[in-house]
Amino acid sequence: MTGRCPRQHGRLENLRIVTNGICKSFAAPVLRDVDLEIPPGCIHGLVGENGAGKTTLARIIVGLESADAGSLLLDGEPYRPTNTADSLGAGIAICAQELSLVDDLSIAENILLHTSTSSLARIRRKSAHETAAALLGLVGLEQTTPRTRVGRLSLAEKQLVEIAKTMATDAKLLVLDEPTSALTAPQADRLHGILRDKAREGVSVIYISHRLGDVLSVCDRVSVLRDGRVRLTEDCGTLSEKALILEMAGADADFDAPGRAAERPAPLHLAVESLRTSKLPHPISFNCRRGEILGVAGLAGSGRTELLSALFGLDKRLAGSVKIHEDGRTVEVRNPRQAIKHGIGLVAEDRSRDGVFRDQTLAFNVTVAGLGRISDRTGRLIRSKEAGAVEKLIGALRVGSNGVHQKMRELSGGNQQKSMLARWLHCGSRLLLLDEPTRGVDVAAKLAIHEELVRLRDSGITVIAVSSELEELQSLCDRILVLSKRRLVAEFHRSDWSQQRILAAAFSEFAREDTSVTVT
Amino acid sequence: MTLERRQFVTQSGSRVFRVLEENLIFVSLLAIVAFFGLISDSFLSLTTLATLFNQLPALTVVSIGMTLVLISGGIDLSVGSVVALSAGVIGAGISLFGLPLPLAACLGILAGALAGLANGGLGAYLRLPIFIVTLGMLEVARGLAYLVTDSQTVYIGAKIQAFAIPWGGSGVSASILVALTLVVAFEFVLRSTVFGRQIVAVGSNESAAEVSGIDPRRVRCTVLVISGLLAGLGGLMNAAYLGSADPNAGIGLELSAIAAAVIGGTSLMGGRGSVIGAFVGVLIVSVLQIGLAQIGITEPTKRVITGAVIILAVILDRWRA
Repeated sequence: MTGRCPRQHGRLENLRIVTNGICKSFAAPVLRDVDLEIPPGCIHGLVGENGAGKTTLARIIVGLESADAGSLLLDGEPYRPTNTADSLGAGIAICAQELSLVDDLSIAENILLHTSTSSLARIRRKSAHETAAALLGLVGLEQTTPRTRVGRLSLAEKQLVEIAKTMATDAKLLVLDEPTSALTAPQADRLHGILRDKAREGVSVIYISHRLGDVLSVCDRVSVLRDGRVRLTEDCGTLSEKALILEMAGADADFDAPGRAAERPAPLHLAVESLRTSKLPHPISFNCRRGEILGVAGLAGSGRTELLSALFGLDKRLAGSVKIHEDGRTVEVRNPRQAIKHGIGLVAEDRSRDGVFRDQTLAFNVTVAGLGRISDRTGRLIRSKEAGAVEKLIGALRVGSNGVHQKMRELSGGNQQKSMLARWLHCGSRLLLLDEPTRGVDVAAKLAIHEELVRLRDSGITVIAVSSELEELQSLCDRILVLSKRRLVAEFHRSDWSQQRILAAAFSEFAREDTSVTVT
Repeated sequence: MTLERRQFVTQSGSRVFRVLEENLIFVSLLAIVAFFGLISDSFLSLTTLATLFNQLPALTVVSIGMTLVLISGGIDLSVGSVVALSAGVIGAGISLFGLPLPLAACLGILAGALAGLANGGLGAYLRLPIFIVTLGMLEVARGLAYLVTDSQTVYIGAKIQAFAIPWGGSGVSASILVALTLVVAFEFVLRSTVFGRQIVAVGSNESAAEVSGIDPRRVRCTVLVISGLLAGLGGLMNAAYLGSADPNAGIGLELSAIAAAVIGGTSLMGGRGSVIGAFVGVLIVSVLQIGLAQIGITEPTKRVITGAVIILAVILDRWRA
């Protein structure tokens, strides 16, 4: 297999696509000096942890993002796409992780959206349906008629249509971002067969996946991204899954976080029994002790956010129980209002959507969940009490602001995040659910938030933290739960964890061959 | 960076300018009054004031409700028809069924509240688009108003007019006092109560409000009930002013109320607004109407100018933000 992909250094015109020192930063650097060379007819795998930069690189290649530095060469020519129309015109098609199908259109219309050259071109229904039917046959959806509205398809079927749509383009470079995440093993195998056929015709493929087994079997060569850098590019024949995981975790994988007091015996705080929701189909059970920092690790889409939503009562519980032990009593949580009443606070992953009121003041944002604490019995707000409480909290948490009446949108990400903590401290939360508590904040703010979490723990507050950064979890947590494909697959204590073991657990459900359970 | 820029602007701008900018809406009202006072001899008179006070109450109470709904991120297109429905219920109650005035008045307001409850139940709890729900209610309530009045203006009599007739020559009636009291009361609710905060929170970011333990459905539904109830009260005021129940009352009133709220600084996207502002918006719209009529501007031109003022208000508002 490797023979088809000879290294051709120095002969740029012989390469399908070359990335030269591509750099990209959002809040923090995402890609740093990424150099890749992919010859025609080569299937090139891209693997890495969440946030390693795989999807960003794919988006830059098809013009959905622009690189801050570096250049692209397509067949030896400089290539600078500014949108997907450019990249399509140049012969590059993407099958995106976030499906780009229009639910209200039929399969045929969706496929056509992609291929028609002009927006005014008349839609020739008959030929469109024939083309679409052929493509559906190719991906294994021959039983579905092209007239079907996409909204009625299952997630796996939609993913197949998305793939079919990509195949409709006659591209010479296909970029596939997690194309098999919703597919069963036979469906994925079929796709891999198609890709090999395409490669034989000279089409190059960039294949991004968390399924390391798939990557090793279908790709000719694979690159590992870590922290936005290419750490390794090797022919697949010589690689094992274990080697990939080691490289993804990094050389410092076994670093030991500054030691902390061993687990102290503390009373039970939270008991989760066989919890199921529509988004967490496999029962989840675990306990959490008072004053513990419990980490939740897993790949994107492994159900981490969904677990916190379920604990907070945002997602309807289908089975099992979430019980809070307080003052010897045990109470159940059914909705966010009850959760807050029993001392649970949620700092959501998407701060701008589920946390911040950006056009309101800092004081408004801090007190909004605990208005009862700054009002009298008639529901009248007591301004002096509000100002006093907010000033005390933003002082204690060192929220940088021009005062409590500053608009939230004028604060930095780190200060916004600290004020989310202040919100829950204001209403007396004793169990904090933190989803990516340091995403999108700068390094200084990140350290400040870590220090604050340790202080909170020492004052008896329990924390459950989701993070994509294993280092963060390892330095903060007493215990780490690992989710893989919406199952709770492992639990690690300080004494027995390592990055490799946690990562291996996070990938464990992807490696299993019986992935016939479709995640919807 | 935004902060630095703001500080820079504030420092470089003169103090007078800043005061003007912060009170732009009051300044505009004064400017409009001064303008008509200068070019028309009869504008600054008690007659103008009486005309204004007659028109004011119904639009004011309806605008209060509209402002709360808009701040919560919704809209209520049904208020004009609900005014007519309430007036119709009151008229029919008194003239056809011989009910005492207080009971009939309560029934009228109750009809408004029920219309609001229907809007709220369908819009908030069944999650139907509120624009369409209240558009439907606009037709339903208007139809019901025709049904209860048999499509005729129902004469009620002098008794109900006591509510709207000014005391002495002052121009001040019970209607206008009630309206002003409600403006102050609801401004207080909005600024200084837990419920007011919840309205702003839901309109500002519904999802974050839910995570903060606020029930967005309850808040959305409640403001629509308040809006219906206040439109019902508007029906009473309208009937009192006319001395009869007109099933054609309040046509287009929802648009005037939205205009008043927007002129008063309320955002159609929710999360921002003020009841006092809406009241000043009502004054601006009303003064403009009366003033333009007095200087002999024809109805079509009046509409062009009023429309332009609404658009101007939004432009100024965007520029300030």
